[in-house]
Amino acid sequence: METSFYQALNDIEGITTDFEQAGYICTTRIATVVYLAAQLNKPILVEGPPGVGKTELAKTCAQVINKPLVRLQCYEGLDEAKALYEWKYGKQLLYTQILKEQLGDMLEGAKGLKESIQRLHSTGDVFYAKEFLEPRPLLRAMEQEQGAVLLIDEIDKADFEFESLLLEVLSDFQVSIPEIGTVQARSKPIVFLTSNDTRDLSDALKRRCLHLHIPFPSIELEARIVAARVPELAGKLTDQLVRFVHAVRELDLKKAPAISETIDWARSLLLLHAEQLDSRLVHDTLNVLLKYEEDIVEAEDQLNKLLKQTTA
Amino acid sequence: MIAGSSSHQLLDFIKFLRGRDVPISPADSLDAVHAASLLGYTDRSTLRDGLASVLAKSPYEEARYHEAFDIFFGLPTPRDASSIESSTEPNDQNQSPSEDSQGNNGEQPASPLSALSQAASDSSELSDLLDSSLVRALQSGDEASLSVAIEAAAREAEVDNIRLFTQRGQYTRRLLDALGETDLRDAAIQLEQENPAAFHELQELRERLRLRARDRVERAYLVHTSGDTEEFLDNTLSEVKLSNISPHQMMRMRKLIERMARKLASRHGRRRKRHRRGQLNVPATLRASISTDGIPFTTRWKTVQRRRPQVMAICDVSGSVAAYAKFLLMFLYAVQDVLPRTRSFAFSSTLGEVTDWFEALPVEEAVNAVNRTYGGATDYARAFQDFADQALTDIHSATTVIILGDARNNNSDPRLDLLAEIKSRCKRLIWLNPEPRVAWGTGDSAMLPVIRHCHLATECNNLKQLERIVDKLLADSRR
Repeated sequence: METSFYQALNDIEGITTDFEQAGYICTTRIATVVYLAAQLNKPILVEGPPGVGKTELAKTCAQVINKPLVRLQCYEGLDEAKALYEWKYGKQLLYTQILKEQLGDMLEGAKGLKESIQRLHSTGDVFYAKEFLEPRPLLRAMEQEQGAVLLIDEIDKADFEFESLLLEVLSDFQVSIPEIGTVQARSKPIVFLTSNDTRDLSDALKRRCLHLHIPFPSIELEARIVAARVPELAGKLTDQLVRFVHAVRELDLKKAPAISETIDWARSLLLLHAEQLDSRLVHDTLNVLLKYEEDIVEAEDQLNKLLKQTTA
Repeated sequence: MIAGSSSHQLLDFIKFLRGRDVPISPADSLDAVHAASLLGYTDRSTLRDGLASVLAKSPYEEARYHEAFDIFFGLPTPRDASSIESSTEPNDQNQSPSEDSQGNNGEQPASPLSALSQAASDSSELSDLLDSSLVRALQSGDEASLSVAIEAAAREAEVDNIRLFTQRGQYTRRLLDALGETDLRDAAIQLEQENPAAFHELQELRERLRLRARDRVERAYLVHTSGDTEEFLDNTLSEVKLSNISPHQMMRMRKLIERMARKLASRHGRRRKRHRRGQLNVPATLRASISTDGIPFTTRWKTVQRRRPQVMAICDVSGSVAAYAKFLLMFLYAVQDVLPRTRSFAFSSTLGEVTDWFEALPVEEAVNAVNRTYGGATDYARAFQDFADQALTDIHSATTVIILGDARNNNSDPRLDLLAEIKSRCKRLIWLNPEPRVAWGTGDSAMLPVIRHCHLATECNNLKQLERIVDKLLADSRR
């Protein structure tokens, strides 16, 4: 059974504690889905706003089960040559040039075209062999002997056609290469797909996945996450900071700060040896938290109100 | 409370979900059964989270799923009915002997009960009846055996076949018949004259039984059909003429339109730009191979540059089509969400672009604002002129122009030459007329000459037609 590679994922509570040790605080919801994915051999489609730890989940998972992480970053125009495999065209061409003479020798004395072709056939498809195949992330993940974690990041950025390409990989864990045949996964990888919801994915893809929607965390959860990620920061400041971020999320912003921004901010405050939030400090470091000028202006307008909410 | 459930109940739940606008394929159901058997039925929240990942495929569906889960598994199941249902019954004291009625038994029910049993001692028929397991269960408040009896009768009466809310009475009656309630009724009729005290006691038992039966029927209705009824209403509504829809159906209509737009979005809202890949551009490759002595080391591939399709929608909001205009605007609003490059215009005499309003305002406000600003008497000539001034130069060979209106121009010249010019510039000109085809050309309708200037002129006065037309439109625009 392939699942034996992923023994660390055999019970839900174990997942929660293991992930926590690796610095990823996960809700039971997340742990349940990871557990199901490992047991049912199904990919997980992780959705949610940017920066809530979708990619991090896959990385942590690889770390916990101690398997290589194979990552495929999607973008518009991504195709099978970049995702599945590619023939090393240059190598093929170079070899045929180098072997020109040998080919000449081999065909020497052959009578007529028919015999030459027959002799060529007897060598097999030498130029379409594994040696000339350049595995791309999807194929590479299939080839891992001991299992792997495959991360297909930001699938919504890829084209619609690319989704169809993924179907074979995701449901059967195999890649068809016309010249060679079907390559079966040596051991089924654990697959994470992430999506920022910029467009709807096709039903066919959705159907093959377990769904996990990660929203912005609650105050308590976020405080735990910051404490796990930036343990050096004083507990009181962590608390203030998280509550401030939550207050900021309530504002009408172009982009609400995500967990990753909270952590960045916590790190900056640590570097500045801050002891507590005050308007000056926030004013100076707000650009770590908010990424648009108009958002910063909006937050600064209400800075006093926000701080009052935070320290109250 | 889920303990003791089986995969059968899970399938019931899936059916329930389907009725609540969460589409679930058979493969999903299989996965759900697998997942449930892995997770076990003992921990409610784990099961809830785990099944969510299999059954709900978007945040919208997830919200619906959680709602449905709580309704469905919040409902008492036949097996644990006794523990929950007793508290929902109106007269609590007589229900659960194990708990509270032990104290009561001595004082309150003693005397009326004896009235009935006294009456029974006079009549062998009645005493047989009182001796039946059903009546004994009713009298002693034995919920477990009562539930078993009701479940058995429910199967016999095929209560789970209930489809419409109005069938509740009918099915309750059937269920009661299957329970053998007719005997109780006959006995009650006999007692009514002879023995009022015993009669009242019997009536109370009957009432208790009737409540239980109705409860069972309502649960069956909720689980098996609430979705069907919704669907039935939705289907009817989408075939009703838009002008006949009454204000109290507006909310449902809005939801329908939104859902339709969402459906269209998921079908068409994907990529609007496409490259042709995987085809060798032979001339370019040969040209590039010159520098490598004719050996094609660098390859060139074909690509296709595409112009993105664009939709311009013009909506008549004048008095004659006021009833439709509201829905058409609502629909335009939804379409603009789906197709980002849609520009919307509204007119009655003067015409103006309303794209920005649709983007900035919520649907109700936007529609009202448009109606307020542009409502009035129709003047197509003026409207076409305005449209030509504002947008004619933006129309190109990939533009589809949709005009929603009745082509009734108060007998003045509609300036069809402008329409002809619009047609010559755009890819397609579609006219959607809310009037039935037979009314075209009657009275002041200029629809007949208009047809000549359209690629497609069609009648469109209910949601179904609208959806079909837009679906086709979007499918074509992807090519």
